[in-house]
Amino acid sequence: MRLMPNKQQGLFTFAYTVLGLFMGWWMLALVLDSPAVPLPWDAVKSLGESLRGDLLFHLGVSLYRVLVSLILATVLAVPLGIFLGKNPALDNKAAPLVYLTYPIPKVVLMPVFLILLGIGDASKIVLITLITFYQILVTTRDAAKNLEKGYVSSVKSLGATSFDLYRHVYFPACLPAILTSLRLGLGTALAVLFLAETYATQEGIGFFIMDSLSRMNYEEMFAGIIAMSLMGFFLYLLLDQGEKVLCVWTRL
Amino acid sequence: MIENYLAVSSLGVDYWHQGKKVRALDSVDLTLDRGKMGVVIGPSGCGKSTLMSVLAGLNTKYTGQVLIDGKTPTGGLETALILQDFGLLPWKTVWENIVLGLKIRKKNLSEIKGAAEIILEKMNLIPLAKRYPAQLSGGQRQRVAIARALVLEPKLLLMDEPFSSLDALAREEIQDFLLEIWEETKLTTMLITHSIEEAVFLGQRIFVMSPCPGRIRKQVENPLAGDHSLRGRVQFVEMCSLLRTYLHGGRRETYETDA
Ligand SMILES: Nc1ncnc2c1ncn2[C@@H]1O[C@H](COP(=O)(O)OP(=O)(O)O)[C@@H](O)[C@H]1O
Ligand SMILES: [Mg+2]
Repeated sequence: MRLMPNKQQGLFTFAYTVLGLFMGWWMLALVLDSPAVPLPWDAVKSLGESLRGDLLFHLGVSLYRVLVSLILATVLAVPLGIFLGKNPALDNKAAPLVYLTYPIPKVVLMPVFLILLGIGDASKIVLITLITFYQILVTTRDAAKNLEKGYVSSVKSLGATSFDLYRHVYFPACLPAILTSLRLGLGTALAVLFLAETYATQEGIGFFIMDSLSRMNYEEMFAGIIAMSLMGFFLYLLLDQGEKVLCVWTRL
Repeated sequence: MIENYLAVSSLGVDYWHQGKKVRALDSVDLTLDRGKMGVVIGPSGCGKSTLMSVLAGLNTKYTGQVLIDGKTPTGGLETALILQDFGLLPWKTVWENIVLGLKIRKKNLSEIKGAAEIILEKMNLIPLAKRYPAQLSGGQRQRVAIARALVLEPKLLLMDEPFSSLDALAREEIQDFLLEIWEETKLTTMLITHSIEEAVFLGQRIFVMSPCPGRIRKQVENPLAGDHSLRGRVQFVEMCSLLRTYLHGGRRETYETDA
C-alpha cells in the first residue's frame, strides 16, 4: 500500500515506472495510429502549452473542490466515528442507519444536489464529501471500537477527562486507519469529481477534458488527463508522507 | 485504634455475562497500613483485576465498603495504576508517556519538564527518552511504566501483574528495582501477582485469594519481605511452600515452582 519504501529506491522506482508508462503509451499510440491516442511527447508538449493557457485555472478549481471535500469529510467523520466506536450502546442504535445507507451509490444523488445546490462548487463538494464521509466514518468507528481497552483504563487512571481520552488515546490510535481510509477515499473522490465536472459546469479539469473531447483536440484532452493524474499522484504522496511523519510508531 | 490507609470490607462485585450474573468478588475484607507493600495472589480468574479496578476507582458498581485514606476511591489524583500490558501508549515516546499524566493534570510546562527530568535521571531512563515502547525490552517498558506512575507523586500505587510477561531474570531485576523504589519512597503499594516467589519477596502482607467467587482465603504477615538477599535463604523457600499450601486450600501437596 505504501508508495515509497525509502527515498533512493523510491526515486528509482518512480523513474522507471514513469518511463514504463510512457513506453507503453508510445507503443499503444503507434499500434492504434488513431488521433484519439496522441504520441506521448505531443501530449506532454500540449500539457506545457495548456498550462500556460487555462488548464491551470481548471486544475485549481478541481483541486479546491477535492481538498475542501476531503477536509470537510474528515472533520465530520472522524469525531463522529470515534464517538460511535467509544460508545457501543450508541453505535448499536446508529449501526442500522449506517448499514442501510452505506451501500446506496450516493453518486446517483448528483442530480438532486444540482437542483438543490446549483451548478457551482457547492453541489460537487457536498457530493464528494458525502461519499468519502462514509468511508472514513466506518473505518474510524471500527478502529476506535477495536482499541484495546487497557489503554483507556490506564490513561483514565491518570485522571483523564473525556477530552483527554480523545486527544491522547482514541485519536492517535485511530490515525493510521483514518489516513488509510483517506488514501482510499482519495481515489473515489477524484472519480466522483470527474463525473460531477463533466455535467452542467464550465469549470474544472473534468470539464476541460470533456470540452477538449468535444472539440476533438485530443492532445489537449491528454494534457488534461495527465494533469488530473498528477494531481491525484501528488495528493496521494502528501497523505503518504503525512502518514510517515505522524505515525512513526506503526513502523517499529 | 490504628487507622488503615486501605480498608475494604464485605466487598462484592457482580458481572453480567450473556444475561447471567457472575459473582467476581464475594465478601472481600482487607486492610493495609500506610507505607506498606501488600500483595494479592491467586489463580487466574479469581477476581484480582476486578479488585484492582475497584481500588483504582474504575469500577464503581460494587457492594460493601471501600475506603482509601478514609475516602471512597474516585480514580482520583492520588492513585496510580500500572497494568501488565497496554499501560504505555505505543504512539507516544518514553518522554511523552511519562509527561502524559502531568499534562492531563494541567501542570505548567516548566514544572512538567523538571519533574520528568528528575524521574528519568533517577530511573536511568535518559538514554531511552526518545524511543517508542516497541523499541524497549519488557523490563525497560515496565520501568517506564513505574516512572510514569511515580512522576505523579501518588499516595497509593496499584500494580496488576506488572511483571508477569517478563522472563525470570528480568523479573527478578525489576522486583529488586521496585523494592529500592519502595524503600526510598515508602509508598503504600498494592501489587497483584500469580507468582509465589514474587509475593514472598515483596509482600509485607500477602492476601491469598480463592476463585469462583473471589474471596480472600488467607491473610499472611510476611516479615521476610524487603530483604534483597532473601531469594537464596531457607526461610524464603519455607515461606513459598507455606503460601503454596494456602493456595491449594490448606492441603499440603507438591506444586511445581513458579517460573
Ligand atoms: N467485564 C466483564 N464482564 C463479565 N465478566 C467479567 C468481566 N471482567 C471479568 N469478568 C469475570 O470475572 C472473574 C474475575 O475476573 P478478573 O478480575 O479479571 O480475574 P483475575 O484478574 O484474577 O484473572 C472472571 O471469571 C472473569 O471471567
Ligand atoms: Mg487479571
